[in-house]
Amino acid sequence: MNKDILKALTKRIVSSIVTILLLISFLFILVRLSPGDPTQKFLSPDFSPELKQQVMANFKLDQSVTEQYLNFLGNIFRGDFGVSYDYRMPVFSVIWQFLSFTLVFTSISFLIQIFLSYYFALKSIKKSGGLLDKLLSKSSLVVYATPSFVLGVFLIFIFSAKLDLFPSAGLKSLDFDSFSFLGKLWDYIIHLTLPLITLSLAGIAMFYKYLRDNLEEVYRQDFILNLRASGYSESTILKKHVLPNAVRPLISVAGIELGILLGGTLITEVIFGLPGMGRLMMTSIFSRDYPLVVGCAFVAGLLMIITNFIADLVKMKMDKRMIKGLMN
Amino acid sequence: MTRKKVTLLACFLILFLSSCGSENTNKNNRIVIGIPADINTFNPLFAFTVDEGAITELLYLSLADFRWNKEQGELEAFPMLAKSWEWAKDSSSITFHLRDDVKWSDGVPLTANDVVFSLDVYSDPMVDSRLYGIFEDVYTDNENHIDIKKTFTVKSDYELQINFKPNSSPDLIDIVHPVIPKHIFEKYDRKDLATAKDNFNPVTNGAFVLKKWDRNQSIILGVNKNSFLYNPDNIDELVFKIIPEYTSRLIQLTKGEIDLMETIKTGDIDDLKSNEKIVVESIRGREYEYVGWNNIDPKTYNEKKEIVPNILFGNRKTRIALTYAINRQEILEDYLYNYGELAATPISPIFKNDIDPNIKQYEYNPDMARKILKDEGWTDSNNNGTIDRNGTEFEFTLTIPSGNPLRPYEATIIKNNLKAVGIEVNIETQELGAMLDDIDAKKRDAWILAQYVPIPIDLKSYWYSDLRNTQLNFVSYQNKKADEIIEELTAHLPKDRQKELYYQFQEIIHKDQPVTFMYWMADIVGINKRVKNINITPFGAITHCWEWAVK
Repeated sequence: MNKDILKALTKRIVSSIVTILLLISFLFILVRLSPGDPTQKFLSPDFSPELKQQVMANFKLDQSVTEQYLNFLGNIFRGDFGVSYDYRMPVFSVIWQFLSFTLVFTSISFLIQIFLSYYFALKSIKKSGGLLDKLLSKSSLVVYATPSFVLGVFLIFIFSAKLDLFPSAGLKSLDFDSFSFLGKLWDYIIHLTLPLITLSLAGIAMFYKYLRDNLEEVYRQDFILNLRASGYSESTILKKHVLPNAVRPLISVAGIELGILLGGTLITEVIFGLPGMGRLMMTSIFSRDYPLVVGCAFVAGLLMIITNFIADLVKMKMDKRMIKGLMN
Repeated sequence: MTRKKVTLLACFLILFLSSCGSENTNKNNRIVIGIPADINTFNPLFAFTVDEGAITELLYLSLADFRWNKEQGELEAFPMLAKSWEWAKDSSSITFHLRDDVKWSDGVPLTANDVVFSLDVYSDPMVDSRLYGIFEDVYTDNENHIDIKKTFTVKSDYELQINFKPNSSPDLIDIVHPVIPKHIFEKYDRKDLATAKDNFNPVTNGAFVLKKWDRNQSIILGVNKNSFLYNPDNIDELVFKIIPEYTSRLIQLTKGEIDLMETIKTGDIDDLKSNEKIVVESIRGREYEYVGWNNIDPKTYNEKKEIVPNILFGNRKTRIALTYAINRQEILEDYLYNYGELAATPISPIFKNDIDPNIKQYEYNPDMARKILKDEGWTDSNNNGTIDRNGTEFEFTLTIPSGNPLRPYEATIIKNNLKAVGIEVNIETQELGAMLDDIDAKKRDAWILAQYVPIPIDLKSYWYSDLRNTQLNFVSYQNKKADEIIEELTAHLPKDRQKELYYQFQEIIHKDQPVTFMYWMADIVGINKRVKNINITPFGAITHCWEWAVK
């Protein structure tokens, strides 16, 4: 069995590497073939044709795409993704500055999404068909359908502009460094409350809907009736039989959702002026910062693969029969 | 138990509500400016964007300080790092006398060698500096790198002579640029300067020093108390707060979290004016909107590299008809709330001495447009509602960049206006980068863009016939007489002659209408009334900030 796991694991790692390589290769070629070039942002009377040529040569963009691609392949195997045209720093140094925020921010949001949706789904299913259940089911649809830019601007307007309870943008106050530890923590909390609500509400609604429907479906199964007839308590049936069956399909969705979140939460970051991966990726695309675009895609792809893998491991832990299927 | 929980919750809420709310950013002697995007460098060598230019000029001073004279409508030079300067009688050289009390922020004195080093690096092909290739009046090698020995004579630590090539037309503004520290940057290989660590933790000579840079959050500049520009009555700290979203920036301005923001949309002006804390100003005459008519045939140019007049827009009378047909005043009034003025030529009204008052606007006149088009042979021969000539229908695609709501509004008005004279317009929206690529390659027929104009006037970069070296001549305008004027204007001329030539140029370009000049757009600035001594000039609002004070 261990040998099988090792084999399956190796297969999965190799296929992941091939996927990422294909992703960044495709992107590398695509960004170079698409219109525009990194020197456009310098366009001004001062930007002489000589300087344009010089910049293009220094960025090695005067070479053919094939030559550039071969150099790129050679470099990435040495772990060198190049220097960002905009930031003038190695690509991974730039990404790390933004990724650290995104990792923390999205992990908090993800946990909020999971715990609140779980809580509401249980409340809902316990009084299935009741007022709370109906209210949550209907409102979850509305919340899920509300675009985050609408929600974000609405929250800013109400809680920042009108009620003046929260700052409208930024990660921390200008005087952050002079605060005590608790003051700093509090500063983060008040700055991140509205962004977290904006980012998490749709996820809560989605997970809630999934979990609630799954719970209902499992409750309808014959074996639950059998368990009840055998005299098991409702709480035992829920914990030992209903939840494991209902949660399992959710884990795959959660894995994908976390991967997407970690890849960058563009709209929330832009609306609230937060320094995350989504904003970095967007600005790098608009300014044609090719090395950074490819670096961001690499990191986002890697995170997606890792989170899916973790989701599969969790599923395996819950049901050992799934090992082979998941590994392949 | 429940009561305890409620009490705890109430305490938490009280604590929460009392401690949150808007940031008190305006304490002390601090002014906060909201900007939409972070900068990427503090090194003036690589300060390509407007905000990078504005911030680096607060950190690094130049030999002279240029200020705008509103009355005269021209630039004036004042002493800065140089106490004084004098030109040789034949303009073959200039001698600067530097201040001897200026020190870098690490305590090292600033000398003439720093100035020499700076100009050397600015012109070095290995560096990719923003000024590479512009030093035409001094001695350079084949790669446009300044020849140090021939160009500079360092007479002492505080006296520097700059020598110019024979028959050149040097101007102070061409050689006065922010000075960078030699002792910091000489230790780097020139090609590594762009990625040097000292670009992010800079040693500076300006009125401010960098206190803190939180990437994509804020840039905090503290006043340099050792600078000769220091005035204890003025601000202590200047903060650039990065707020990408326009609405958030506006809310922070109205709440007093930031003190200044530029590029305010015209629709928000009334709200801001009703706010007793805010004053609304405008920067006028630096940017005009235009409809570009490709003067040459895109297909022939791209396939054969030959210049053939565009079948629709190659004729100047047709272009004049198009200008007559477009109701520019309507857009100016309805969308821009008259924050701007109709444009007739690319010479901005801020250049009071050089603007020709005799140039008259082509006022909206569809009848005149129809008449001219008919005279040019454009009639609706097949009665399909679109005019045609020799089997060619007058139909084209008008390209607009995405992201600015003004453009679709303008394009719709233009489409309707031209439809009224029998011209069919298809509107296409394109991402700006992709659009610039197409326009640069002369692939587009017509488009709407804005053009930022430099100070002092620069016609060569935009209107000179050499299409290879005039990259901003997107419409491929070519006129020999205009070329002669532009060439003559590159020399040092008496003011009267200069004015005469500018007048002649305006007359030519007005008659040729290579583009339809729409209007000079004002950049609206919102400023908290607590900010004092701020002087809005065509250079913008964020300039000479060391003179700002807080009420």
